[in-house]
Amino acid sequence: MLTKEQLLRPLARHRRDAILVTCMGVTRPWGKYSASELDFASADSAMGHTADLALGIALAQPGRKVICLNGDGSMLMTLGTLATILEAGARNLVLFVIQNESYEITGNQPIPAAGRIDFAALAQAVGFRRVYSFEDGAAYEEELPAALSGDGPVFVAVRVEKGSEGPISRSRKEQAHYLKVSLAESAHRLRRVLAAAGPFTSS
Amino acid sequence: MQAKLVLEELKKCGITHVVGLPDNSSAALFSLLARDDSIRLITVTREGEAFAVASGLWIGGMTPAVLIQNTGFLESGDGFRGTALRMRIPLLCLITCRGYARNGVRAAGGNPAQRDVDDFSRPDLDSVALMTEPTLDAWGLPYDFLRTDADLAKIPEAFRRAGMESRPIALLATRDMS
Repeated sequence: MLTKEQLLRPLARHRRDAILVTCMGVTRPWGKYSASELDFASADSAMGHTADLALGIALAQPGRKVICLNGDGSMLMTLGTLATILEAGARNLVLFVIQNESYEITGNQPIPAAGRIDFAALAQAVGFRRVYSFEDGAAYEEELPAALSGDGPVFVAVRVEKGSEGPISRSRKEQAHYLKVSLAESAHRLRRVLAAAGPFTSS
Repeated sequence: MQAKLVLEELKKCGITHVVGLPDNSSAALFSLLARDDSIRLITVTREGEAFAVASGLWIGGMTPAVLIQNTGFLESGDGFRGTALRMRIPLLCLITCRGYARNGVRAAGGNPAQRDVDDFSRPDLDSVALMTEPTLDAWGLPYDFLRTDADLAKIPEAFRRAGMESRPIALLATRDMS
């Protein structure tokens, strides 16, 4: 099982020009490793819809990788999104499911069927052809560059230790750069950044 | 209402993607969209997805519209609230309206809380039609009606308003498209 640091630090090193969308228990921790204007926090938003949002961004920006760090409780809310991703053919989307088996923000209550759900198998059954599953930090770090390269959609299940993040706000008191502005401002800002960057092709 | 005329209006607005889920009223438009080269159709598994996918498309630089039934709109509550509404996405929302033909003039009818509970189980009334407009009001989604082809000019009007006010705007199609 990985710590959040083992999950996020290599990701910060390897994400390059990818758009990275976070939610729930990794939202604040990601701010410790990145201040990129290509980060987007699906916070103060709608639980369960982070992967949908990332899918939309990926379809709009086909030349750029979009990495989505979804929670396991969030993924369970909209499992149908896995089918939508496949049908839409989002080749640039890398969808992580961070498995801590609990609703961390509300006090680590267990998700339904905690510890018994094989998310990687679910993704394979839906039709994802590139599926990774990690329980070990060393293996994750070694294979992460491969997971982030090439055509997707890619599904990455990572077992992570339970954390202790509380409810996430959007205010200047938050340390993470992308939580200092409202959700609307954050959305409009990312659109402007992407428009200014113009058509992009991941190297 | 003619689906091909709706499609033409969407094209005039520069819509790049339609995100939604078909119903009997919108089936003809979905059929046209599936064959169209200039607007990409994204079919979702549940209507709440549609608002999040559309919001992501807009963030990424596209000009999406949402096409769902009023039943699905009720389902999509938090997805709508937490993405398109809260993010202030200028988003044209086409909502086909089950029940309006059956209910006739009794379709909308004010505050559901003030209705007799029996209204929601009456077989001659479709409860979703009773709830659609009060829900739109409660959720802060302005709307107008598409009843005939003559109303289709409301599509570019709604699209412009969505852009000017940076918010979702809905058009309720109360007749089947053909």
